[in-house]
Amino acid sequence: MSTLLQEIEAQITGVRTGVTKQNVGIVREISDGVAKIEGLTDVMLNEMIDFGHNVTGLALNLEETEVGAIILGDYTEIKQGQEVRTTGKLLQVPVGKGLLGRVVNVLGQPVDGKGPIKSEVSYPVEKIAPGIIKRKSVNQPVQTGIMAIDAMIPIGRGQRELIIGDRSTGKTTIGVDTMINQARINREGEAAGDKTFRPLYNIYVAVGQKQSNIARVISVLEEAGAMPYTIVVTASASDSATNQYLAPFAGAAMGEWFMDNGMDALIIFDDLSKHAVAYRQVSLVLKRPSGREAYPGDVFYLHSRLLERSARVSEKYGNGSLTALPIIETQLGDVSAYIPTNVISITDGQIYLETDLFYQGVRPAISVGLSVSRVGSAAQIKAMKQVAGRVKLELAQFRELAAFAQFGSDLDAKTQSQIERGKRIVEIFKQPQYKPIPVELQVAVLWAGQNSYFDDVPVDRVKEFQTKLSEFLTTRKSELMGKILKEKALNDAITAELKAAVTEFKQTFK
Amino acid sequence: MKVTKQARQEAKQLFRGCTVNGLLDENRVRQVVQQVIAQKPRGYVAILSRFQRLVKLDIDRRAAKVESAVPLPPEIEAEVGKNLSRIYGAGLQVTFSQDPTLIGGLRVQVGSDVYDGSVRTRLNNLQESF
Repeated sequence: MSTLLQEIEAQITGVRTGVTKQNVGIVREISDGVAKIEGLTDVMLNEMIDFGHNVTGLALNLEETEVGAIILGDYTEIKQGQEVRTTGKLLQVPVGKGLLGRVVNVLGQPVDGKGPIKSEVSYPVEKIAPGIIKRKSVNQPVQTGIMAIDAMIPIGRGQRELIIGDRSTGKTTIGVDTMINQARINREGEAAGDKTFRPLYNIYVAVGQKQSNIARVISVLEEAGAMPYTIVVTASASDSATNQYLAPFAGAAMGEWFMDNGMDALIIFDDLSKHAVAYRQVSLVLKRPSGREAYPGDVFYLHSRLLERSARVSEKYGNGSLTALPIIETQLGDVSAYIPTNVISITDGQIYLETDLFYQGVRPAISVGLSVSRVGSAAQIKAMKQVAGRVKLELAQFRELAAFAQFGSDLDAKTQSQIERGKRIVEIFKQPQYKPIPVELQVAVLWAGQNSYFDDVPVDRVKEFQTKLSEFLTTRKSELMGKILKEKALNDAITAELKAAVTEFKQTFK
Repeated sequence: MKVTKQARQEAKQLFRGCTVNGLLDENRVRQVVQQVIAQKPRGYVAILSRFQRLVKLDIDRRAAKVESAVPLPPEIEAEVGKNLSRIYGAGLQVTFSQDPTLIGGLRVQVGSDVYDGSVRTRLNNLQESF
């Protein structure tokens, strides 16, 4: 028996070090991160090509007489006449929990200097999205911690919600607040030891961002203790266009691992406008025909295949989900430009941020009228549905009457009260950055607002009232908050307790 | 030089005209080149450069280079040539050369396919695997 095993082993080693068949080509032209290669007759589309010195490329253009390949890595060492080989593999990235807390580049290599990454599984960067049968409708909430969003434009697990606005309107801040809130919820859930608790892991993909911005985001996440639940994939502005083009797909592959293994993940693409620009550069250098605004013809497919990979899968396939928050930067508020309209038509809703609101002091500068969530209240806990149902309507009425607000005393009582209520609601929804609010506190504050406890507070003191009420409820009524969080609905008992608590607070507020 | 789509198509047509039973006929190629230079149709330089490229690629596809560390005896050369023709079809131009750095074994390159059984490559693979 032992000789049999030795024989087999000898044969296997013989096969491995035997004659290898490879497919080779010669680099005919190299420029701008793109190589034109002659030969490579057996190459397949999107196959990895080995250029030597640990540099790989991706075959993107298969033409009659040559292959166009984009280069991942340092392309300055590649020379004309160099021999390159096919590898027979598609581009893959390491995935798994070993990546949590790390900052990686497109190929999954760490760039934070904290040592190598342990990962057993690799997922292909380009993968077909889950089919129709595999999916389930979205009904679990993603608590962003931003009251305006959780109340009026709720996001569910498995949804794609676009964050769109001009520069410096707070788009990245919404993403970072969501990640910080998820980390807090994860910590509390794990501490409580609830078996049915499902943590939500974050993936932040920075495409074409300044490295100082990325460093700032990472330091904010570290301070808030969110890094242990977060993977950061970076392709900064100084990275090649190839890296920026592939980074969102690599991030989506990492998110898909969580989805395939019955876990929930949230991925933030910051931002897809720069991603489209990088893809445009790659396509133009590959001499592909250009279309509107010089973007290639398949720029819609670029984003649709990326965003379709975010889904909620049914119990049969693990009940996992991948929620996507793509970010798009508009120029001068023009949402009817090419790339914004493309991505709006792909996603399940958008959060629209306006510069006017931002400078008026309404931060987060969310335009309630233009923002939509197509999943809506199916992704809210019952308690939130009960208190926030009418808020959007009241704000809409307020906006209509806002012009009359200047006339003040000349209006009838009903209009006057609507205007006053609207002003207070706007004040309540203002929130400082990096301070997400737990959902039970949001429910309590909104309940107080809806039941007229804010109505006699002067508008400029509403924020102070809200802050003090929040402090009061978190420190002195933490049991009640815990009950709301556990029940997830406002039954009569909880409502009575809430009434008592808010009345008690109001008596102490001067 | 910039070869227009029209020139590319015409060069392709000429190339297909030079192939007999799937193999390139040298006499026809020479005739084609002479005729094009004589008649000078519009954009003939572009057509000729594209035609040259197609011919070069076809010759490369059918060129087999066999490298060995030491000169091979004629029986082995014939055997190798026969096997290659069996796999790749007729019309294969087999050239034999010596490369002492291979140490031992053969390295055969047919077009883009490389069959590397040389000792040098096996040693390199072994080294990389550590």
